[in-house]
Amino acid sequence: MSLLYARGTARIDSNLTPLIDLAFLLIVFFILVTRMSGEQTPPINLPQPDHPAMTPARAQPRLTVNLMVEGDKTVVSLGSRRFAPGDAGQRDLTLAIAQRIRLDPALPVDVRADRSLRYAAVEPTLHAIAQAATQAGLGHLTVRVCALEVKGVAHE
Amino acid sequence: MNRLRAANGFRLQLAMTPMIDVVFLLLVFFVCTVRFERGEAVYQLDLPARGASADPLALQDAPLQVILRAGADEQCTIELKGDGIAQSVGDFDALAMAMEKLRRRPGAADGLFESAHPILIVPTAATQWQHAVEGFNAAVRAGFQNIGFAPSADAKFQT
Repeated sequence: MSLLYARGTARIDSNLTPLIDLAFLLIVFFILVTRMSGEQTPPINLPQPDHPAMTPARAQPRLTVNLMVEGDKTVVSLGSRRFAPGDAGQRDLTLAIAQRIRLDPALPVDVRADRSLRYAAVEPTLHAIAQAATQAGLGHLTVRVCALEVKGVAHE
Repeated sequence: MNRLRAANGFRLQLAMTPMIDVVFLLLVFFVCTVRFERGEAVYQLDLPARGASADPLALQDAPLQVILRAGADEQCTIELKGDGIAQSVGDFDALAMAMEKLRRRPGAADGLFESAHPILIVPTAATQWQHAVEGFNAAVRAGFQNIGFAPSADAKFQT
């Protein structure tokens, strides 16, 4: 017989209710803060101007063109789709952007380019976007350049 | 007698173990996949109409050019060039101030250009994108609204 419990053997139970409460709270938190559009915006070291004078990006549908550095290569992607180097890749990118903006002319096109890239590697993409607008027959296309708001902290 | 207890003594219980397993699996999944992104912001860009869409009959103001040349040690030399203007500036803060002086503002007599005057950022092929965006940022800080990047003759797709 237990010394603590005169009426029988001692039974140690763990109270699971607060543990489950906490786990559910954490799950709800992560569901709310997780962005499932990770492929649209891969981690890129965006430019960080000293005294940024830009507008915060609103959460709205957008077409994102990413220019990333992988080793000594520049990789261009539209969402999760990557484009081959060279003229054929640039034509495909132009076509892909034109198809999307023809369906939704108000869709802004965001350019997310690594800050260490040379302008020679970025400019053809800007050119492709301008050509896509022409192909889609749009007089005006909203093109935006992405940068980080605060200087001094590296992304990711 | 307890209603949940059957006559033969079996007790009806809710199996908590699989639920807790699933909850923890979900928790681990979200902990592993969550990505806290830094705040991104955007600059509205006015890409110059290139080639076919440019109206050959349209009268356009000569743009004020911000020429950014890649220098030694990842530095950048900055030059402001326009109608009767040729000025070198030391850094992007000085560029923003110089451009603000050139902008026509209420109560200031020395402004030459309206806010809507076209500004062309002209980086060379070797200029870093960081510097190109800083030049763009300086023009935005100075209060100009019609800013674009110049085409580069020696640029190549994904080089």
